[in-house]
Amino acid sequence: MKSFEALLASSAAAHGHLCPGQVVGVRMAMLGCRLIGLDEPTRRDQVKKLIVYVEMDRCTADAVAHVTGVKLGRRSLKYVDYGIMASTFVNMETAESFRVLCTEDARSLASVYAPEVDGKSAQQLAAYKRMPDSVLFRVQKVKVKLGDYDLPGPTRRKAACSRCGQVVRDNREVVVDGQVLCAPCTKGSYFSNPIEVTWPDMNYVPPQETGLEKNMNHKLI
Amino acid sequence: MLKKIKVEDAVGTNLAHDVTEIRPGEFKGPAFHKGHTVCNEDLCHLQKLGKNHLYLIELAENEIHEDQAAAILAAALAGEGIAWQNAPREGKIKLLAERNGLFKVDTASLAAFNMVDEVMCATLHNHTLVKKGDLVAATRAIPLVMQRAPIERAAAIARQNGAALSVRTLRKAKVGMVITGNEVFHGLIEDRFAPVLSQKVTDLGSKVERIAFAPDNEELISKAIGNHLENGCDLILLSGGMSVDPDDVTRKGIRMAGATEMNYGSAVLPGAMFLTAYVGEVPLLGIPACGLYHRITVLDLVLPRILAGEHIGKAELAFLGHGGLCKDCPDCSYPHCPFGKGI
Repeated sequence: MKSFEALLASSAAAHGHLCPGQVVGVRMAMLGCRLIGLDEPTRRDQVKKLIVYVEMDRCTADAVAHVTGVKLGRRSLKYVDYGIMASTFVNMETAESFRVLCTEDARSLASVYAPEVDGKSAQQLAAYKRMPDSVLFRVQKVKVKLGDYDLPGPTRRKAACSRCGQVVRDNREVVVDGQVLCAPCTKGSYFSNPIEVTWPDMNYVPPQETGLEKNMNHKLI
Repeated sequence: MLKKIKVEDAVGTNLAHDVTEIRPGEFKGPAFHKGHTVCNEDLCHLQKLGKNHLYLIELAENEIHEDQAAAILAAALAGEGIAWQNAPREGKIKLLAERNGLFKVDTASLAAFNMVDEVMCATLHNHTLVKKGDLVAATRAIPLVMQRAPIERAAAIARQNGAALSVRTLRKAKVGMVITGNEVFHGLIEDRFAPVLSQKVTDLGSKVERIAFAPDNEELISKAIGNHLENGCDLILLSGGMSVDPDDVTRKGIRMAGATEMNYGSAVLPGAMFLTAYVGEVPLLGIPACGLYHRITVLDLVLPRILAGEHIGKAELAFLGHGGLCKDCPDCSYPHCPFGKGI
């Protein structure tokens, strides 16, 4: 694994700014990986061993994902909306899992660890770099059981909603009175009143690169 | 896990903790000790102490008793020069100075330690001069039974920089003194600085090896410093010439002597025009005229720390500001007052 400072720099660049949450996230990821015995989580031989659950959608989550290389689209990053500054690191090979939680104490202690730094955010940033892991985090050894339909890999099941026709992947459909339904049709949704519409320039296609186009044509032939 | 039982049902069981008795103005301490087997004769005494129920302890695998916890905490807190005995009284362990010296507290570590639920440690102020056997701190875990993990986390926090508490021995410095000022050098007035400073040096166990007098001339001040260094002095005190008048050239003399670091000005009153400098590893302390008038000044805050091996630079002088204002009380009670206790 790269050094803390190198990881922090690249994480902040990817996230868009350097902030206390980035420091916490980088350190949380480094600790989590260390606990489950992965020293290079983004390397080819380790990338498939790691699943990370993040429990918040804050700056820290981006840093955890950046350092560990887990991705939502690869199903190695799981987001659970608890609003808790915590992440769980699962080693799929050994089945060892540790949940790393931020202590709220760290925020209160920022002025003690970086008394010479002015400004709340700058002081937190400096202090979170200096604090030992024992002050920043609590750790729980946990058991995580991943269902067959939550694992990385190809889609294992598809079903169509009997009400709206939408295809639902990975066993997320709901069966009500023998009818297969999608989640929005049963549980309600973050949106309401969906009405299908047309939009300007409906036949837009991104410009095709010449080389790629030739290549594609060649393949098609 | 704790199981509550009626006191009359407790005969034959062992007490889970010390039972404290307080007789106002007369006694405070354990009336019964942990492990004591309750007998019929004890029931009346226990009830007089307001104990109608007692706890039986059944420890789960991940639980520990407050006495075990206190020992884990004490072991983690105690660094060099701190002694303690694994004999908790009422769940509390006292930490004592194992030797004379300067009591040091890693205040960040202590604050973080005390933020952990259910543990506590109270100490004397950082940088307090202590004697062997002095009580410097006490620690305890608050509940009777608790989870082991938070206790071990608190212990790790206490150990983050070695240990949160220590007593550092003061080295026996060979002090060279340079008393500056034309008025003294030419005999217009009698010097009173040397006796005052010598007393402070000897009170801390060091020795004044050499005293030189220099006029307000940077070259001669520099030469006096050089002579002290050549003669093996490993701490140099300079008095006078620290102010802003044209004749105040002590700082120039220190620079000319080869100071690699100079920090002029401290956030302390009395002592705003105090200076620390270093020629190689040797510290030089410039004491302004306030050192003559006031019984206690910034020098009393800094000298023990210098002798304890601390490097006193710009930040250390700046951080003295909180608590650095002497109230100049008619009856000075230093060190039993807030002066210099802010860090």
